[in-house]
Amino acid sequence: MDTTAAPVGKSQFVRGVQKNIYRSVFLWLLFLPLAIVVIIPLLYETSMAFTLEANQLNFPIEWIPHPISISNFSHIFADTTLPIIRWFGNSLLVAIVGTVIVVFLSTLSGYAFARLEFPGRSALFSILLFSLMIPAAVTLIPSFLLLRDFKLLDTYAAIWLPAAATVTGIFLMRQHFYSIPNELEDAARVDGAGRFRIYWQVCLPLVRGAMVALSIFTFLGLWNDLFWPLIVLSNRETLTLPVGLLVIQQGSYIQRGLAFSGAFIASAPALLFYAIFQNKIIAGITTTGMAGQ
Amino acid sequence: MTTTTLPRPASKDSSPSKWKDIRKQLPNYLFILPHFFFFTVFLIYPIFRGMQISLFDWKIMLKEQHFIGLANFEALLKDKVFWQIMRQTGVFMVYTVVVNVILSLLVATGLKHPFFGSNFLRVLFYAPAILSVSVLGIVGIRVWDTQLGIINYFFTTLLGGPRIAWLGTPSNVIPVLAVTTVWWTFGFPMLVFIAGLQNIPDHLYEAAKIDGANPVQTFRFITIPLIMPTMLFVVVTQFIAHMQVFAQPYIISGGGPGNASRTAVMLLYETAWKFFRFGYASAIAVVLAAVMIVVTVILFGVMRRRTQY
Repeated sequence: MDTTAAPVGKSQFVRGVQKNIYRSVFLWLLFLPLAIVVIIPLLYETSMAFTLEANQLNFPIEWIPHPISISNFSHIFADTTLPIIRWFGNSLLVAIVGTVIVVFLSTLSGYAFARLEFPGRSALFSILLFSLMIPAAVTLIPSFLLLRDFKLLDTYAAIWLPAAATVTGIFLMRQHFYSIPNELEDAARVDGAGRFRIYWQVCLPLVRGAMVALSIFTFLGLWNDLFWPLIVLSNRETLTLPVGLLVIQQGSYIQRGLAFSGAFIASAPALLFYAIFQNKIIAGITTTGMAGQ
Repeated sequence: MTTTTLPRPASKDSSPSKWKDIRKQLPNYLFILPHFFFFTVFLIYPIFRGMQISLFDWKIMLKEQHFIGLANFEALLKDKVFWQIMRQTGVFMVYTVVVNVILSLLVATGLKHPFFGSNFLRVLFYAPAILSVSVLGIVGIRVWDTQLGIINYFFTTLLGGPRIAWLGTPSNVIPVLAVTTVWWTFGFPMLVFIAGLQNIPDHLYEAAKIDGANPVQTFRFITIPLIMPTMLFVVVTQFIAHMQVFAQPYIISGGGPGNASRTAVMLLYETAWKFFRFGYASAIAVVLAAVMIVVTVILFGVMRRRTQY
């Protein structure tokens, strides 16, 4: 907003600021109800996680628990049938390794489709594009049977291998590899660099932003996914956190506080991560969202 | 689609040198090979395999599967519960997509230009999408609870309304799940719309202002037509996501009361992994996919036409 450099009329500057204030107030009045609706369930989850089991049913709702108690957490940690720390670690492992696989394969393919020539390139790319139209529902049963035949059920390979088939990352990376000027590659080629080295040392560092965005989304997707882990994991020790939460939820008709503290353990780190990287995440969505077009 | 990105022009005249070019290009396949391997095994192959399994009375314990032709599909087409579930999945999808698109576009319009705290609001509105669906489920059950939920706490206790069984009444449960899903997901289309709106050149809005257009007219005649490409992307991705809804009804309402909130993918899941009828479940998947592909193509057709102005 250009309200600076106005020695001519100071009143104009003041008017500009005033208009800005009115606009802010007006928009805040508009958005406040929505903001409250968004915040309340999160606040409720947090309060209840720190509310004594005996006070869970208190009416009116205690938005600030009285007393603030960590007994739900100590219960959950003490219960050996609910190895939530183990689940947390499992989820981290699943998400980190899965992200590395997806990002590496997506940059390789995205690079090839953007900058390398080979027979059938556009045909192969069209196949990738068309596969976006196929709903994941049809692949569930055959993938499950395949993993069963390979004796991979109840291992994390059952999550990583199908994840490696995703195509959206390729579109994102391809888009970004396009924007690299040819001169950089040519210079590297003159210096005698092979095609893999050009990809790895010249081009990859230039698309770091897109790689970070793709990593964050892939990580969050794997970290939060419930459906596929629910299908391929059954041993209680190997569960990921979302599946573990379901176990807690299904057993918690009596202990409400337990489910809330479990939900808190799962959501607090994710929200913290989000709060720290919000700039990158939001910028990432806007670029990925655009890449989809 | 651009096909040439390398500066080296492909020589077309002499076939030996063309052959040499192709041979030189062969190592390039190594770049796409790793992904294509997984893509073929876990995406292409399962599509055809799934169609094949749907023709069998596939039971996981059996050594030899029993081929039954189209019997699964015949049974499915006659299955009243299946069509009820498909209809209610469609209703859920329409509610969710329509509310999500309208809400997120309006919010994006408000947040497009920065104002005091606008960045905070953006971050806040996307925050629910960071949660796992399991967390959403745990919170959702308790938010909508008839006796102790916070909705009825405000609605009944504070405002004196009737005590409504949100999840216990067949006519309420799908809208309730849709609202819950909108709360969880509207941040994503909002961000995509903000990006789309920022791509609309400012001079168009200035011209409209000079011509004396009011904000509603500006929205109707400038924003809506120019946001159509983004809208197409949002509507199609939202459609694909919400037509395959599983976890919200699975956790929050258990598909009930009765079958009132059972969805297509939930039925598929239960048929396959609770009752182990993989053939029948595959038929469900094939019908769902067919319906979805047809709708996607129609969406593309309708919205593409409206994009050309």
